Amino acid sequence: MNPLQNVLTLSQLHSAFTLFTSLLVEALPFLLLGILLSSALLFFVDEQQLISRMPQNPILGSLFGSFVGFLFPVCECGNVPVARRLLTQGAPTSVAIGFLLAAPTINPIVIWATWVAFRDQPQVVVLRIVFCMIIATVVGVIFSFQKDPRPMMQPELAKRVLYRLQARQAPEQPSLLQSGTYLLGQSGSPLRLETATPADFTPPKPIKRFSAQNFRLFMDNMVQEVRELGGMLVLGSAIAASLQVLAPRELVVSLGQGPISSILAMMLLAAVVSICSTVDAFFVLAFASTFTTGSLLAFMVFGPMVDLKAIGLLLSIFKPRVIAYLFLIAGQLTLLLTLSYTYFF
Amino acid sequence: MLRLKRLYPQLLPWLDVVALFQWGALLLKFYFSGQLQLLIHPNYNLLVLGAGFGFLIFSSLRAKHLIYRRRSGVNDGPLQHVTLFPPGLGSGLLLVSALLGLLIPPAVLASETALQRGLNESLPYTRTEAQSFYNPIPPEERSLLDWVRTLNAYPEPDAYQDQKVNLKGFVVHGPTLPENYLLISRFVISCCAVDAYPIGLPVRLTTDREDYPQDSWLQVQGRMTTEELDDRRQLVIVAEAIETIPTPRDPYEF
Repeated sequence: MNPLQNVLTLSQLHSAFTLFTSLLVEALPFLLLGILLSSALLFFVDEQQLISRMPQNPILGSLFGSFVGFLFPVCECGNVPVARRLLTQGAPTSVAIGFLLAAPTINPIVIWATWVAFRDQPQVVVLRIVFCMIIATVVGVIFSFQKDPRPMMQPELAKRVLYRLQARQAPEQPSLLQSGTYLLGQSGSPLRLETATPADFTPPKPIKRFSAQNFRLFMDNMVQEVRELGGMLVLGSAIAASLQVLAPRELVVSLGQGPISSILAMMLLAAVVSICSTVDAFFVLAFASTFTTGSLLAFMVFGPMVDLKAIGLLLSIFKPRVIAYLFLIAGQLTLLLTLSYTYFF
Repeated sequence: MLRLKRLYPQLLPWLDVVALFQWGALLLKFYFSGQLQLLIHPNYNLLVLGAGFGFLIFSSLRAKHLIYRRRSGVNDGPLQHVTLFPPGLGSGLLLVSALLGLLIPPAVLASETALQRGLNESLPYTRTEAQSFYNPIPPEERSLLDWVRTLNAYPEPDAYQDQKVNLKGFVVHGPTLPENYLLISRFVISCCAVDAYPIGLPVRLTTDREDYPQDSWLQVQGRMTTEELDDRRQLVIVAEAIETIPTPRDPYEF
């Protein structure tokens, strides 16, 4: 027999494709919902006002970010577009990171699902929330030392932040120093005729929330997010599905007997399986009999923060090195916290 | 070729429209053809239906907008030129995956996956765990999942001695079982096919298991008994009548 046939048969390929499709079918509605919500921020929330009210203090900021999840019940496929939007709109780094890490866990739907799954062990539900808050806050504080998020971000996305920041800080050059013909515009400040556009001569429109202009922005934003995040989701799901078929789950499971190795194995599984945070509590129950409670917690705390799908999505925001730091710190904290749980209880 | 290059930027926005439309069509196709139950738990069916219509509405709004933009000659804002992917790659990936999904029907997970994921009679204590030892379903009407659930609530195999069995599932030739045994199996789904969990009970045959090839679907009637298999006392179905059936439309249990 050809050794290659051992590795991948046609039926395995078909199974992998089925898993790939099932991941996409499961995740796309949530992604669409997340994008819809994040684009709706354009409509319903005065972002500048929201962001200007966000606490600048790193600890308060990341706590604030963690709780924003209650407003946006999205899982980890949906939180990336929202976090991305917050960042490009100039939200403090700590808020965005806190939101990114905690929102998939700290939202009503996920808490409810976890409670349904672990009704017999309410401490698991509580600890999942508490650990997640701690990690999100710590990582948020660490990243807040970088006040300007742009160097951490993908250059193309950083340009968008720049564009917006510039737009906000607008008149930099005193206009009176420029020569030319001036008109007194509606804003009350002199308007240089050479730079005036026809729009400057139309009477001011009352600010309408549902203007055509707003709707156009909303649509453009949605299309752009679907295009980029959808593409990333497709790549991530393809990798996750092929790993599931190629790497036997038994191998991952056989690693986990000791207190430390079980936690590490569950963290690895969480990253590989890429399961949505709204349903991961049910999934992890499959291992409730063979794995320590600490490792189940590790799965549920680490999984929503880090998985292969999320790496794909996160690459649309951050540079690879930043993602590596993010995951390493989150991973270490998860290990530390869940291990202390195993040790003390 | 040159003409194509010039047309490309104009066609690019339409790639989004087509990709969105394809995904809407694919989700609706899964929903209405019943193939959705090969992919995800029925709890999420309505979500998929909603998303299907969502993608279609989204696609048509986008198309309308593009036509309007073309007629009125309005140019795109500066946002349009900033993308993380090379132009068209993201939508292209979405489009290709949706087209493949339309062309290749989802597979029914089979013995290969079951063996890889570790087949046994214990349950991933998902959702509806048995709340009491008393099972209102009479033995001969229990599905494989009902049996495994019952067994998980009260694992002593002797308690089920001589109870009637009538269930269906697919054949797995357990590598550690003797030649006249097979595992009658099914997958349990708690979220989507990714977490499909195989369950199975051993069946003692009167003939060789080669008569029943792997992955064929069987309706097994018989009685329960206790035997020592793999150095473990466990519940075994003694087959009295076995009938080969076509793969059911709903191969998974939930």
